[in-house]
Amino acid sequence: MMALCGIGWINKEEYMCVMKRLRVRYKDTTSFDGLSKKGIFSYPFKNFGRLDDVSKMVCYSTALALKDADESYSPDHKRDMGIIGTNTDGSLQSDIDYFKDYVDCDRKLSRGNLFIYTLPTSPLAEAAIHFGLQGPLLYMTAEKAKLPLVIRTAEDMLRLEESQSVLVGINNKDEAMYFVFKKDPEPESPVLCEISKAISVIEKEISLLEMAEEFLMIQKGKC
Amino acid sequence: MENRRIPENIIKVVAVASDMITPYGKGTKACWENIFAGRTAISKLNRFNASEFQSEYAATIEGLEYHGKDSLVVQMLASLFGKFKGLIPSDAKLLVATTKGEIDLIEEKILAGKKDVTENSQTVFLERVSSIAGTKDKGTIISAACSSAGAAIARASAMIKCGRAECVIVVACDSVNEFVYSGFSSLMALDKFTAKPFDKNRSGLSLGEAAAFVLLMSKSRSRRENREIIGEVLGWGLSDDANHMTGPSRSSEGLILALKKALLSADADEKDVAFISAHGTGTVYNDSMEMRAFNAVFKDRKPIYSIKGGIGHTMGAAGLVEMIIAMRALREGKIPPTVNLTEADSDAEGWVSERERSIPQNKIALVTNAGFGGINAAVVLG
Repeated sequence: MMALCGIGWINKEEYMCVMKRLRVRYKDTTSFDGLSKKGIFSYPFKNFGRLDDVSKMVCYSTALALKDADESYSPDHKRDMGIIGTNTDGSLQSDIDYFKDYVDCDRKLSRGNLFIYTLPTSPLAEAAIHFGLQGPLLYMTAEKAKLPLVIRTAEDMLRLEESQSVLVGINNKDEAMYFVFKKDPEPESPVLCEISKAISVIEKEISLLEMAEEFLMIQKGKC
Repeated sequence: MENRRIPENIIKVVAVASDMITPYGKGTKACWENIFAGRTAISKLNRFNASEFQSEYAATIEGLEYHGKDSLVVQMLASLFGKFKGLIPSDAKLLVATTKGEIDLIEEKILAGKKDVTENSQTVFLERVSSIAGTKDKGTIISAACSSAGAAIARASAMIKCGRAECVIVVACDSVNEFVYSGFSSLMALDKFTAKPFDKNRSGLSLGEAAAFVLLMSKSRSRRENREIIGEVLGWGLSDDANHMTGPSRSSEGLILALKKALLSADADEKDVAFISAHGTGTVYNDSMEMRAFNAVFKDRKPIYSIKGGIGHTMGAAGLVEMIIAMRALREGKIPPTVNLTEADSDAEGWVSERERSIPQNKIALVTNAGFGGINAAVVLG
């Protein structure tokens, strides 16, 4: 059985752990960056401020998805969990930031700390380092249906036992949503629905927030 | 991990066509012959001014126009697919492996002070590749840093094994441009002259550029269509170090995991491996990381080579060029020398050679890649 076991969603005003029915409006009490010190992460995220905005968004939403799935993590424990991400622009803004900075320096000085975020996998790699994810890591994108594309890839990975669990999701500039899928989850693991049911929801052309709300309805229907 | 293997009754994946364009020129033959001759294509750059960088050397393809009408990778792909136009099956799914694709177009806009830099370039790029390769499918980009091609081969094979597609064309490409060159220089990753993978005196990588494709399909379809099989994807392992954004793991645990997964998924034993086409960039840390992993996984020394002393590190294209060379090595029963190797580092002694070597028949090959973000790929070929 391949199952959806956790969903984390965040935008610039609020965040959600869908299965736990936890929805928090943080904008009135803290900034987007300040959230990193408000219990989103189980242990302090080293140098969180150096991350680019996309990486921050991806790391927040993956942390929320792991929390939703009751998946604990610590600095001294790594696991064979994969992570697959998608978005619309790849690393376009980071590309522009890096190259403009280089041009501004008369094409004589380039900054490694900007260059490392010019790969679309860099936000995923930041998440992999903090959460100790040693499974497959890749970025994919296509013209349409980006989220169904990466979810089906996760399904293939689980079916072929490339990994026992996969974090998979999408981000854009202002919001991100990540899902935890597992193959044959442990009896104590929370399960929302089978992957086929999740795909039927994800394939609908609805916003991420609407998607989260639809999954919330499925969760409520189970209780 | 003991039970993780691709079930035997599942669909087999074979390669039925491939080609490449590299700094040696057009075609696999040019790359094969030059690598075997021990020649390097790495030379002083004349594409842009590199005098401020750590190095002024790279391996580039002659005849490409920088900041011209088309991007560098599109020029490479147009040349690559010229004779294959119309020969790619119309139902083939398209996977495009790249790290930076048409980044030279963004460079050009920024340098010209244009304001429309933020337009979505990925979809447009996919349309271009689809048009050049002649696929109906509009395609998917796969990016896994310098393991992009290995990851794309894995995903393509998974699509076929899971029945999502009967036929997938994997295209990989990346170019040498000021953007990428300045970035690698800022990370102090470049050899001042030419990369010397696994050498005692190696001091960095040399950037290179290439485009390649491999057409994969189910073995049953290849038989049905009477196609010549040039290799088989027996298995693969993908992993991440979860350790550092740019530096390889000091314990090599990520690559070890990928190698073990790859062998298990292929239902193969380490003794079945005839040779390893290593990532072998020429940086001190990468090559040491790989040798630690190989020592951990293999009981006996295996013949290893790297082609990056010849064509440089072609980034997202590297794994596909290396797969094509490895498939030919399996067919011809010999592996190339490691170009620019003078004196093997102590940990690589007895594994690498500056000479070509023959290999036994009916064995399998491993192609390994590693990239920024700690991303590892190992593909098992038969």
